[in-house]
Amino acid sequence: MTQELLYWQALNRALDLEMAADESVFTLGEDVGLYGGSYRVTEGLYAKFGEMRVRDTPISENSFTGLGVGAALVGMRPVVEIMTINFALLAADSIINGAAKIPFMSGGQFPMPLVIRVPGGVARQLAAQHAQRLESIFMNVPGLRVAVPSTPQDAFWQLRQAIRSDEPIVLLEHEVLYFTKGPVDTLAEPPPMHRAIVRRPGIHLTIIGYSRTALQAQEAAAELAKEGIEAEVIDLRSLSPIDWDTCAASVNKTHRALIVEEDCRHAGAGAEIAATLAETCFFSLDAPVQRVAGMDIPTPYNGALEAASIPRVSDIVAAARALIGPKEKAAA
Amino acid sequence: MKQDIPMPALSDTMSNGRLVRWVKHEGEAVKHGEAIAEVETDKAIMDVEAFHDGYLSGPLVPVDTEIAVGKTIGYLADTQAEALAAVGPKAADPAQPRVAEPAPASGPSSSATLEPPPTAARRASPEPVRAASLGTRASPYARSLAQRLGVDLTKAGTATAPVHASDVMAAAQVPEPGELKGGPAYRIERNSSFREATAQAMIASLGTPTFRVTATLPLAVLISRAKQVQHSVNLLIARACALSILEHPRFNAIYTPDGIAWRDRVDIAIAVESAEGLITPVLRDVAKRPLPELSREWAALLDKARTRRITPAEYSGATFYVSDLGMFPGVHSFESIIPQGAAALLSIGAVEGERALCTLNCDHRVVFGGDAARFLETLERQILALAAGA
Repeated sequence: MTQELLYWQALNRALDLEMAADESVFTLGEDVGLYGGSYRVTEGLYAKFGEMRVRDTPISENSFTGLGVGAALVGMRPVVEIMTINFALLAADSIINGAAKIPFMSGGQFPMPLVIRVPGGVARQLAAQHAQRLESIFMNVPGLRVAVPSTPQDAFWQLRQAIRSDEPIVLLEHEVLYFTKGPVDTLAEPPPMHRAIVRRPGIHLTIIGYSRTALQAQEAAAELAKEGIEAEVIDLRSLSPIDWDTCAASVNKTHRALIVEEDCRHAGAGAEIAATLAETCFFSLDAPVQRVAGMDIPTPYNGALEAASIPRVSDIVAAARALIGPKEKAAA
Repeated sequence: MKQDIPMPALSDTMSNGRLVRWVKHEGEAVKHGEAIAEVETDKAIMDVEAFHDGYLSGPLVPVDTEIAVGKTIGYLADTQAEALAAVGPKAADPAQPRVAEPAPASGPSSSATLEPPPTAARRASPEPVRAASLGTRASPYARSLAQRLGVDLTKAGTATAPVHASDVMAAAQVPEPGELKGGPAYRIERNSSFREATAQAMIASLGTPTFRVTATLPLAVLISRAKQVQHSVNLLIARACALSILEHPRFNAIYTPDGIAWRDRVDIAIAVESAEGLITPVLRDVAKRPLPELSREWAALLDKARTRRITPAEYSGATFYVSDLGMFPGVHSFESIIPQGAAALLSIGAVEGERALCTLNCDHRVVFGGDAARFLETLERQILALAAGA
């Protein structure tokens, strides 16, 4: 059954279905109850499931995330909403030292069916402390899974898969995507949680993006196609683990890779992707792997500067052209 | 359980092997040590043997693909049912660089330019590529393509920009200047690894400073003797050479940068024509072992050489070579290129009257003209002694 849903509606639908299906599923966080969530993801759930299963918490990220860890330890399936990834820094101990470590340190006695839903990314003029991405911090934590849905359909699928998974998962939503619309088939069989998807087939280069940059990459590919450059676009969908097989198969076909990330270039997700592709695809690379990334600066508040500090579609197009080079362009 | 069958390293120098034939088919029982497949190495076709009992299971790599040593070519299953069960993991991709890469199903535009031309490997020329790698900036993919297509990287692209795959493709489609330019239309056929190995060995010998001395030797009597005792003429000639070498050990030595390497056994290779080209089976210790034993061994080697079952150990390491074109009555005399690892090679022409013209090609770093003349004198004496039944 396919219907057009906003990204937040798809998440809402997924949470609703999972809470209805399994009594051990509950959600907690700031303003998730009466208010319905800062981005409306829990809208209507408080009325439907009651205050025990949709719990408002004080502004105490490490405490309520720790509460989620504890609940997961005793068999619940908590969905913790942290208002933005910037505040997840306060909950870092519960996430990194608690959720990610306990399954290992207990020798597998305690699974950790915990979902941490957290909006991230640069929205519009929220200033440096509220416009961080930080995915590389969580990618660097063994034991933690990081999923990055870019479409309402993936948001729907991946939240449901995350709730059903026994692993601790950070579901990194993007603030700009909450009000994007797309078809959602609530009955279709989802691909595996951490599988990357080729959003557009191509032959001249591979553009790898995730979350919002996967959408930008597709826009850029449409631009490039007008010049005869056929870019293959991969939406990673997951940053931990990363589906290397899909990436390598594409790069071995196109011989060129361009990575687009909104996070800062230095030690970001793109660095990991570029390094691994260089290791696995070295002999089929016809040009150095390139990155289009956010600048290594705190995000400016000024709207024009803010927009210029993160990848724009025109940046991706320009980088793709440069990567292809004048000769190939002529040949194309 | 299914276990991988890796491409074995069948010789010291083997990095890839071309799958010639599957001896067994999927689901067929195989015993430990039994041949499963035939693989063409750098010079011979050899068997891949089963490492334990089981059933051959797919997916098997297709025939005629080149596979890197260690890559999986197929599987061994414990039971027949398992062997024939649903397709398992994909068997090895063709070796890097790929030889028969299927064109990706992609747009019509420039994908064609990124595929190797059908006449892929012209002369494999590792030397220029290696030399170029010191100074030429090229992408890893351009480099691997250049190696696969035998393109000289220094001649691809421009002097300033790095070489990309498209430059290599362009260079691959232009004939080498001077060699084919201006001539008639041509097609390029990939050398068998056997012929290519010979070609490379011959090129490697170009640096040897050689001279030749020709003498007439009384071969007619030796041929009669060979018929009488039912040995191969070439075996008797090799024996005579070996006995002569004992008196002139320099002909068993080679030049190395550190000094002359004296070898304490005379191992003689005799050039043999096979369907694919030249092969040189080696008889060991020709001076000292009994002739009947050598004769049996020679017959076995000849058989292996003709069916290309000969192993690298059986065709390498000779200290002296013999080449005989005496079966062609019109061949007055000829000379040969001394392969690396030997100081001299004897080329035998057709018998005219009682004698035949025999040319000794020598490495001048090891032996001189006088040595060669004395060697040929001794050889005449040894031939006569052998013919007399010594």
